[in-house]
Amino acid sequence: MSATPSAALLVRVAVLSIVVVFFQIGVVSEVPVFGVNADLSPLLVAFVALLCGSMLGAAGGFAIGLLVDLALLQTLGLTSLVFTLIGYWCGRLRELRDPQAALTPLIVGASASAVSLVGYSLMEFLLGVDAPVSFELLRQIVLGIVVNTIVALPMWAIVRRVLEGALPEDPRRRRRRRAYTTGGLSPLSRA
Amino acid sequence: MLLVVLSLLLLTAYFGEAPSGRLHGVQRAFLTVVSPIQDGANKALKPVRDLFGWFGDTLHAKGQRDALRKQTDRLRRELVADQAEKRSYKELISIYHLDQLGINDYHPVTATVVGKTPNIWYSTVTIDKGSAAGVRVNDPVINGEGLVGKVVQVASDGAQVDLITDSAIGVSARIGTSNATGIVQPKVGEPNDLLLQYLPANFQVNNGEYVVTSGTVASPDDSLYPPGIVIGQVTSVNEESAYKSVNVRPSANLHNLDIVQVLTAGAGTRPSNLSHLASTLPTGQGPTNSSTGEALASTGAGG
Repeated sequence: MSATPSAALLVRVAVLSIVVVFFQIGVVSEVPVFGVNADLSPLLVAFVALLCGSMLGAAGGFAIGLLVDLALLQTLGLTSLVFTLIGYWCGRLRELRDPQAALTPLIVGASASAVSLVGYSLMEFLLGVDAPVSFELLRQIVLGIVVNTIVALPMWAIVRRVLEGALPEDPRRRRRRRAYTTGGLSPLSRA
Repeated sequence: MLLVVLSLLLLTAYFGEAPSGRLHGVQRAFLTVVSPIQDGANKALKPVRDLFGWFGDTLHAKGQRDALRKQTDRLRRELVADQAEKRSYKELISIYHLDQLGINDYHPVTATVVGKTPNIWYSTVTIDKGSAAGVRVNDPVINGEGLVGKVVQVASDGAQVDLITDSAIGVSARIGTSNATGIVQPKVGEPNDLLLQYLPANFQVNNGEYVVTSGTVASPDDSLYPPGIVIGQVTSVNEESAYKSVNVRPSANLHNLDIVQVLTAGAGTRPSNLSHLASTLPTGQGPTNSSTGEALASTGAGG
């Protein structure tokens, strides 16, 4: 996915990002589950990167983070920084390993949520928020990761469905698909 | 790498500038633009939110019913006792011509919550009323259950409200009908708890007692909340050496805010003048200094 992304893909990512961020702010943040709120934005960044690669992942992470910070009047640049790193790492995972297991979205979603929550907390400590590292804080972080992991699979399905038609053909996946449908042999060798 | 550097630059610039700075201005402008969209989206998505909320509410309903029955019995007993005290109080007020600042001195502006922060580090909500409706920075925000927070940023058609569980907030408060005042502050990372600090060490307090605003300020940045607004109930008492502190559970359900009221006060009105007086007091360095500030502000509030 090192090629320049198509305009259709960029538009889809932009629209999906805006919809998800406003849905997060307007609905998901108002519905506590086990005392915490799910956070869809790190999942969105991770899954866009997992489908589109590191460059679009990092750029998308920066833009989505900026949108979150602007919309919620938070410290500008904080969410962008954390999400840029999440987007880049998830994109690199796809480029280097291209994991195909069914549980990949679950693991990537949990990891992205963990990096988001822990990274955010570390940044807040660095910026001088006077907070004790209490059991309750750790509980909130762990519960946040669990809740995000629960919503990771539906979120993955939505992101993949929205972006699927605009994703460029990946030669590695084409080879893998052909090998799968022909039992690992080229159609020529079978003949 | 470029994006990381850009994020760090933004972060540094934002953190270093004053609230009236350029980046804060961009945020306020963005809020002005997206506030109507957020408002529309909030109304459109309300059924979805209500559906999720219905499941949660049903699960908690039985426990709440039992607790409310006990509370009703207790309040009935208290009401009988309070009615006698109220008569005495009215007589004293008329004898000494006391005139306390109350909610009636403010103009409540009803607003809808259109956004909420999803993380545990910021406890803020966005409302759909701003400077066009008379909302100003530091205005107290309440709902039917009690104190919610105060306004920290204002755009023309929207405002940001710091909830009482936000790390940046502190409210001067007292317990029930006592005269002992302290400062209610959040326990960061524990979104359901507050801490009322700097109570006298020998002060007797019981679980379940109500914590209300004292109508005073502890520092120039504080909002002058009207006295008597319920903040929460005492859940446990911490014994410390010089001062006593108590854990407080907020009365307002801050997880599920829908409609709130901003207590606005126009320029030249009594609450506005008192807020101005409070803002000119020297910065409190601790409980000793803050009590000086509280005393001055209280004098003003007392008319």
